[in-house]
Amino acid sequence: MKSEATASELENILELHGVTRRSFMKLCGAIVAAAGVSGLTVPRVAQALEQSVIGAKEGNLYPVIWLEGASCTGCTEAFAQLRVPDPASLILEMISLNYNDVLSAGAGESLEEAKSQTIAAGNYILVYEGGILQEWGGYATRIGGRPSTEILTEAARDANAVVALGSCAVNGGWMAAHPNPSNACGVQQYLTQAGISTPVVNVPGCPANPEWLVSILTDVVVMNSLPQLNDQNKPASLFDQTIHDLCPRRGHFENGEFVRQYGTKEESENYCLYAMGCRGPQTRAACPITLYNDRRSWCVDAGAPCIGCCEANPNDPGDNWVEVNAPFANRHRKLRIGDWQFEPQTLCLAITGILAVCLVIHGFGMKKAGRLDGNVRFEKKRRWDAKHPDRSIGDYDEPLTIIHEDGTKETVPAGTNLPGVPESDEAWKKQHAAQVAAKKADKKGGRK
Amino acid sequence: MDMAEYHETHPLPFIVTHWINLVCMICLILSGFYIHFPAFDGFMGVARGIHVLCGIVITINIIVRIVMTFIVKSAPGNGTHETKADIYSWLPQKDNRHQLTAWIGYYLFLRKEHPLGGKYGVPQKISYVLIPFLILFMAYTGFALWEPTSQLPFFLAGTEAFGGMMSMRIIHYFMMFVFILFMFIHVYLSFAEGGKGMMKMMFFNKEHGGLTYDMKTHNVSGEDERNLE
Repeated sequence: MKSEATASELENILELHGVTRRSFMKLCGAIVAAAGVSGLTVPRVAQALEQSVIGAKEGNLYPVIWLEGASCTGCTEAFAQLRVPDPASLILEMISLNYNDVLSAGAGESLEEAKSQTIAAGNYILVYEGGILQEWGGYATRIGGRPSTEILTEAARDANAVVALGSCAVNGGWMAAHPNPSNACGVQQYLTQAGISTPVVNVPGCPANPEWLVSILTDVVVMNSLPQLNDQNKPASLFDQTIHDLCPRRGHFENGEFVRQYGTKEESENYCLYAMGCRGPQTRAACPITLYNDRRSWCVDAGAPCIGCCEANPNDPGDNWVEVNAPFANRHRKLRIGDWQFEPQTLCLAITGILAVCLVIHGFGMKKAGRLDGNVRFEKKRRWDAKHPDRSIGDYDEPLTIIHEDGTKETVPAGTNLPGVPESDEAWKKQHAAQVAAKKADKKGGRK
Repeated sequence: MDMAEYHETHPLPFIVTHWINLVCMICLILSGFYIHFPAFDGFMGVARGIHVLCGIVITINIIVRIVMTFIVKSAPGNGTHETKADIYSWLPQKDNRHQLTAWIGYYLFLRKEHPLGGKYGVPQKISYVLIPFLILFMAYTGFALWEPTSQLPFFLAGTEAFGGMMSMRIIHYFMMFVFILFMFIHVYLSFAEGGKGMMKMMFFNKEHGGLTYDMKTHNVSGEDERNLE
């Protein structure tokens, strides 16, 4: 078959490239680090690599098709910057990348033909980059005049697995942000709707860390299995912990040492970026462990708060990282009612302020009405009862009992004005005024 | 003159749970504000510790309070020694029937006479009944945000339903303001309407005299002029 590539013996490959055993073990270490698993498993990975199809004398390389939907090609770019293993080794010696818009040598008809042959042969992995634009019959993105939705369906149906690479492929990414005119969604949701049951591995990120892809491909190619996935079908070892929990600045967070403004001493001392809107506490990804750019640095190391680019729920395009996290410098996202956007904090403080003002005004009203401090005048009869004597709630005909200060009891007929319940509002106000005056006099007397 | 309040009105166990609620609520709100935005240095570890501890305590407290409402007896009205299971103070009661508009009218100064009613007036009862549910919901959103519990399926399902951690955090934040608004009104009316007598009862378990009420006639039954402190 034309699309099949073969690998020579692993040792020969290594020798050909002048790779020493030490460098090979380093590669294994890199794969282990990328997968976020314990360094103790390095020898196992090395052994697996040696025994795998890569190491076999006449073994077939694992075919991979890399499709792009609505993407910026950023994930491909990130992949192309990979150093260990470098893309060339990966493409030529670990997998057989039979189709990629950017990296494939061929183009046009011949490349489409390579893809068709790979699909027809089966037993391949599909890497999908970019969102799925469902609106307009999928024609917003097309290749060779065919909508990308159709191309995805065709390529995914017979694949062993689909790797949704990047947050756009996971749930539509920023294209799914309000108002989402293209009805963007992720690969998993689209395939589920299309009734295709091919397993999907979601690898969010903007761009997705290429080493995460390597670790998944390693699992597939070497171990012949998908990595352990969590309930969002993301590799558990990479996406089960928050960036916050893995962050090297976590100690500063617990100590309460924060950067509150750029260009300050706190910033130069690498204090926690939580107060600058860091999304680390709510974003699950192994960024602080894997790092970016050949394991040199990552966002927080570079002094930038996490903007939560790995936030992507494959089943909910609304939970896309841009809409959920913007504005990035604030603690909260903005909320929206129709086209009106507002900050949760502003709304809460405004309502609280209005209520406080209302209560102060009400308090003055209470004071003026003389109702403060439990000084209330109870109604003698419920108003409803007065209007509905046949269905009256209360019984107002029972005699009343007055318990005097010395404990003696006195029974008076129903309807008698109790000392605490004067007959009229005026009488009650007078009584209240007399009580207030007496209290004041008491206080003055006490002072003297 | 206000209604008399006896020990039966606010039995000691409920005074204790009220104290716990008060202390936890204040600690939760203050530490919550700090966790939302750390305005000063050096307090995050402590704030989170306080927040989680008080969150757990208030959750247990509210569950205990709900259980006690079925087994502890209290008076469903002020100014009476007659008791029933406390749950009757939380359900609609005859003393309050048809009185909602009367209460609203009274608070809006549209009528001068204080409506007759049970221990809790109509708007008061509605808001008090909501509070335990709000506390439990607040606990749910809180544990959905707290890392050690956030990945439990029970909490994860909610986080996904609400649209992710950020939405959950905003709901938790909004809910805090619901409590703040409730506390504003609750504290204001306690001071303004309940006054010193009620405060002494609620915080220090001290009775005070006033009008007495008969649960059978649903009406004022007389007056207790004694100073009971």
